[in-house]
Amino acid sequence: MIAVLGLVIGVVVGLFVQPEVPDAVVPYLPIAVVAALDAVFGGVRAMLDGIFNDKVFIVSFLSNVVVAALIVFLGDQLGVGSQLSTGVVVVLGIRIFSNAAAIRRHVFRA
Amino acid sequence: MPAMPTPSAPNGRYNRPDASMSLLTNVMDHSLDEGYAEAAAARGGARDSRIPGTLRGLLTLGAGLALVGAVVTVGAVNAHKAEPTLAKERDALIQRINDSNSSADHLQKQVQELRRKVDGTQQQALASAGDGDPGGLTGVVGLGEVTGPGVKLVLEDAAGTGVGGNVDPRAGQGFSNSGRLRDRDLQLVVNGLWGSGAEAVAINGQRLTALSAIRAAGEAVLVDNRPLVPPYNIQAIGDGPKLLAAFENDMAGQYLRLLQERYGIKSTLSTQKSMTLPAAVGVTLRTAQPVTPEPSPAATPPAGQAPSGSPSAGPGTSPSPNASVSPSAPPSPSASATSGGAPAKRRPSTGTAKTTTATGAARP
Repeated sequence: MIAVLGLVIGVVVGLFVQPEVPDAVVPYLPIAVVAALDAVFGGVRAMLDGIFNDKVFIVSFLSNVVVAALIVFLGDQLGVGSQLSTGVVVVLGIRIFSNAAAIRRHVFRA
Repeated sequence: MPAMPTPSAPNGRYNRPDASMSLLTNVMDHSLDEGYAEAAAARGGARDSRIPGTLRGLLTLGAGLALVGAVVTVGAVNAHKAEPTLAKERDALIQRINDSNSSADHLQKQVQELRRKVDGTQQQALASAGDGDPGGLTGVVGLGEVTGPGVKLVLEDAAGTGVGGNVDPRAGQGFSNSGRLRDRDLQLVVNGLWGSGAEAVAINGQRLTALSAIRAAGEAVLVDNRPLVPPYNIQAIGDGPKLLAAFENDMAGQYLRLLQERYGIKSTLSTQKSMTLPAAVGVTLRTAQPVTPEPSPAATPPAGQAPSGSPSAGPGTSPSPNASVSPSAPPSPSASATSGGAPAKRRPSTGTAKTTTATGAARP
């Protein structure tokens, strides 16, 4: 209950406050979003596996977002930003896919 | 851990069949954060904690999910906001391209129209120019239409050398040793015609003036930078039979026979009762100046013409009196038409125009 409430609160805050994202951060926002989704799927799967841990979830979420943004930032500084962000998106995408597959197995038993 | 088989042997190191894809396998196998498994192991293998039981755990989860929701929403909102501006910029760019294109087209059209107008006006002015020597002079120098008897010479490339100039320029041999007419041949023939008494010459309907150049570029023969398409139809106005005889006895006539014998270049020479040669186009006046510049400069169209310009005002349609042109520096009226260069030298005496065609350097 509290979890769903927290999600709703987050969406509402994002929608209504609409924080002005600084221009320097804008390029890393999509990567951060993908990393956040990865953390969420991992958390849900861990929950279904019965090994969920709130601390691990929070820390993995934060570190995922920060590390993904940092990698892309580093790539931008080195001139390979687009390639590196492609790599990050590929890795996170594969993880999201396999986590989603595990969730699907738990939910549908198939 | 999930129910995924980990193929790594505990201590043996056997070669996995997918060893070259270990990166992909690794990414696929370790999709779940390992922290969960470690935390579970630390708890002592309790596998029932689906949802954190304590209030603190629940609050942490809620805060984390709130953070996730905020990040995802902000990202989505940001992307949504950026979309219209991007599309707007793109549309603006496309609009600018289209605008520039159409304005360039418009200017191009204007240039063409003005050029035609200038040509027409020039022809008109020249037709009425000359201080009592109207008409005749412009015909001689090529700035007016001329009609009269003469000689028609048709030159054809030898059979099997490509039709209509559609020869691949990179196909090798070029002009050399082929049965194609070269620019040099055409120069020689035209000079022979002038020398035999021709008063006006046109090649494929293109009038030659004292400044015309016959050149070659690649495989094409150019007259005044306009490519010719065989067969070459050379018309020369003069005293028909006399011109014909003179030409055949001239060096150029013999040269043509040689071409026919050796390369199979066909030439057909015939007299004509009456031919009409068009005026030369694109002749620029360099030394001629209007007599009375104050009331009507040369640029203004004559009175009979609408200022907006019917561009197809033909040469010499209506010689209007206020556009008279007369030479300023040299006393001879011919200078007004021969346009620059050395006017006195190539002033044609009316009988035989011994002007040599200004031919460019042969070929590269």
